[in-house]
Amino acid sequence: MKWKRRLVKEIRPDAKALLVGDNPFHNISHLSQGRTRLRDKAMALPEHAADLIVTAVDNGANGFMFSVSETTLAILGVLRQRGEIERIGLYAIVPYAYEYVKLSTQVGGIPGLARKVAKQIVYSGNLKAMSTGLIGFIMTDPVRLLKTYLTYEISRIRSFAGKKARIESVLLHEVVTDLALAMSMDWLFKAHVGYALKMGLTPGFNTCNFVRLLSKLEDLETSPGNVTIASPFNKVGFQMSPSKRECEQALRSLSEPTLIPISILAAGYLRPLEAIEYIATLPNIKGVVAGVSKNAQASETFRLMREKLKA
Amino acid sequence: MSKRKLRVAVVGLGKMGLVHAGILNILPDVQVAALCEKSNLIRRFSRKIFKGIETVDDVEKLSKLNLDIVYVTTPIPSHFSVAKAIFVNEIASNLFIEKTLAQTYEQSKQLIELAQSSAGTNMVGYLRRFYVTFNKARDLILKGTIGKTISFKAYAYSSDFLGTEKGTQTFTARGGVLRDLGCHAVDLASWFFGDLEVSSVRRVPNDYNPEESFNFTVENSGAEGEFDVSWCKKDYRLPEVGFSIAGSKGKLDVNDDEVRLSEDNGGSHLWYRHDLGDNVPFWLALPEYYREDQHFVRSAMESSKAEPDFQAAAKVDKIIDEVEKKAGERD
Repeated sequence: MKWKRRLVKEIRPDAKALLVGDNPFHNISHLSQGRTRLRDKAMALPEHAADLIVTAVDNGANGFMFSVSETTLAILGVLRQRGEIERIGLYAIVPYAYEYVKLSTQVGGIPGLARKVAKQIVYSGNLKAMSTGLIGFIMTDPVRLLKTYLTYEISRIRSFAGKKARIESVLLHEVVTDLALAMSMDWLFKAHVGYALKMGLTPGFNTCNFVRLLSKLEDLETSPGNVTIASPFNKVGFQMSPSKRECEQALRSLSEPTLIPISILAAGYLRPLEAIEYIATLPNIKGVVAGVSKNAQASETFRLMREKLKA
Repeated sequence: MSKRKLRVAVVGLGKMGLVHAGILNILPDVQVAALCEKSNLIRRFSRKIFKGIETVDDVEKLSKLNLDIVYVTTPIPSHFSVAKAIFVNEIASNLFIEKTLAQTYEQSKQLIELAQSSAGTNMVGYLRRFYVTFNKARDLILKGTIGKTISFKAYAYSSDFLGTEKGTQTFTARGGVLRDLGCHAVDLASWFFGDLEVSSVRRVPNDYNPEESFNFTVENSGAEGEFDVSWCKKDYRLPEVGFSIAGSKGKLDVNDDEVRLSEDNGGSHLWYRHDLGDNVPFWLALPEYYREDQHFVRSAMESSKAEPDFQAAAKVDKIIDEVEKKAGERD
C-alpha cells in the first residue's frame, strides 16, 4: 500500500531545513578523536551549545538535528528556558546508539540493556508507553515494542523542550536502519513510517546506505517524498556507500525532495564554502545539517548556506 | 543454474553478532541461515525480528543445518567450548571467532589442532587489521620508509568502565582488559614487527578495580616496545588503538583515524581515512566489518588461508598469558 502523505508543520512550505548538528556537543569527530581531546570542554555544556544554536538561527538556521541523549535534552531545556525553542524545528535521531552500546557493555549485554531501558520507561511514568510495552513484551511483538520506544523518546523530548516545541521528524539511527536493511526487516520500516505519520511527524531514516534505502522504500511502495533521509553527502565521498557516484545518481532519480545531507564537511576535512558549494549542486534536498563549535563558525556556515542554497 | 549460497550461522546475538549477521547477509553468495543464542528473551524476539532464520539455543542444534561457516561472537570465556563443539560435531569446517581466539594460550593451541583436522578456513576477528590507517602504516614499515624499527609505544584505551563501580564479575565476563581491548594493540604489533617477547609488566590499579589497566614492555630483534592498556581512560569516547614508532630514518604515528609520517630528511605526511579509500559497498557500524567479513568469506570460498588465522591469533593469547602471569608474580 502507499502511505498517505500527511501535512507536517514547517516554517515555510518551500523553506529548506538548515539544521545545526549535535556531533560537536557530544565531542564527536569522525576525522580524528584526538582532535576532540584538544577541544574546549565548555563545548559540551548545554548553555554553550544553546548559545551556538541561537547564533546559527540568527544567521539562517531553522532547526536542530540531534541524537536524543541527556546532553541534547539538557540543551533543549536551556533553549526552552530562553524562549528560543519555538524558532527551532526539531529532528530527533533515536536511539542514541553510543549511549546504548556503552550501557550494554557495562550491564552485561543486550538482556541487561533491555532491563535497564524497561526500567527507564517505567520510571518515566508514561502510561501509554508502559501499557504498549507490556503487551509487546508478553506477546513478543517487536512492532509494539518499537512504538513503545518511540513514544517514550518523544515524551522525553517534550518533557525538556515543552509542549510548544516543533518536533518535525523522528529518524531511526543509522545502526538500526542499516541493520534493518541488511536483515530485510521490512516490518520495521513499515512500523516506523506508519507510527510516525500517526503521531503527525515525518518519518525519518539516518543511513550510510542511501542507495539501498531508496530501493527498500520502493519495494515497500513508500514514496521517498513522505520520509526524511539523513545520509552522508560531501565533496570527497566520505562515508558515501557504495560510492559517491552511485549516491548522486540515486538522488537525481528522485522526483521530490527527500534528502537531508549530513557529514557535508566530511567531519571537518572540508572548508564550509567548498562543502556548501557542492551541496548547492545537488537536486532533491530538503535541507542540510552542519555541526558548529564556535560562534564565528556558526554565523559563517549558516550565512553561507542561506546564500548558496537560497533557503 | 544459480549458484548455491554459503550457509552461515552466528553464535551469540550481542552487538558483534548482530553486526556480523547483518554484513554476512548482505554479502553476495552468502545467506545467514541460523542464529544461536542462549538467552531465552533474545531468542524469542530474534524469531520475530529476523523472519525465516532458524534460531536455536544450543550450538549442537546447528549440526543438522548443513552449514558452511559459523561465526562465534559469544563472550571470550566461552570461545573455547563453543568452537570445540563446532569442530567435534562437524557443524561447519570454516570457523570465524571474534577476538580473542580463546581465554588462554593452552585453549588456543587445542583449537589450532582441532582446526587442522577440520581442514577448513579459520580466522579471528582482529578488526584493526582492516582499518585503512593501520594498513597504510604497515605498508610504510614494510617498505622501510622509517628504516629499521628502534622502539615503539602502543596504547589501547577506552572509557567503557570509567566511573563505574562494577566488581570483577563484569570485567571477567568480558575476558579482562587485556583480552577485551589490549589484544588489538598486541595483534597489530605482531603484524607490524613479527614475534614479540614480554620483558616486563606493571599493573596500574586505580580506585575502582585493579584489573583495568596494564603497562608492559616487549622485545623484538633488539627493538623495545611499550604497551599501555586501560578501559577507564578519560576522554576516550570510543575505544582507540595507536602506535608511535621510532625508526632509524623517521617516525610514524598511527591510530584508528590517521597516519603521520615524519622522515629524518624533513619530509612529513598526514593521511586521514578520507585519503585512504575507506568506502565499502555496504556500511554497517564501521567499514572495517565489511572488509573483514568479505575477506573471510572469500577465503572460505576459495579454501585459502585467511588472516589472521588461529595460528596468528594464538600468538596474542600467548603474550597476554605471559603478561598476566608476570603481573601475578609481581602481585
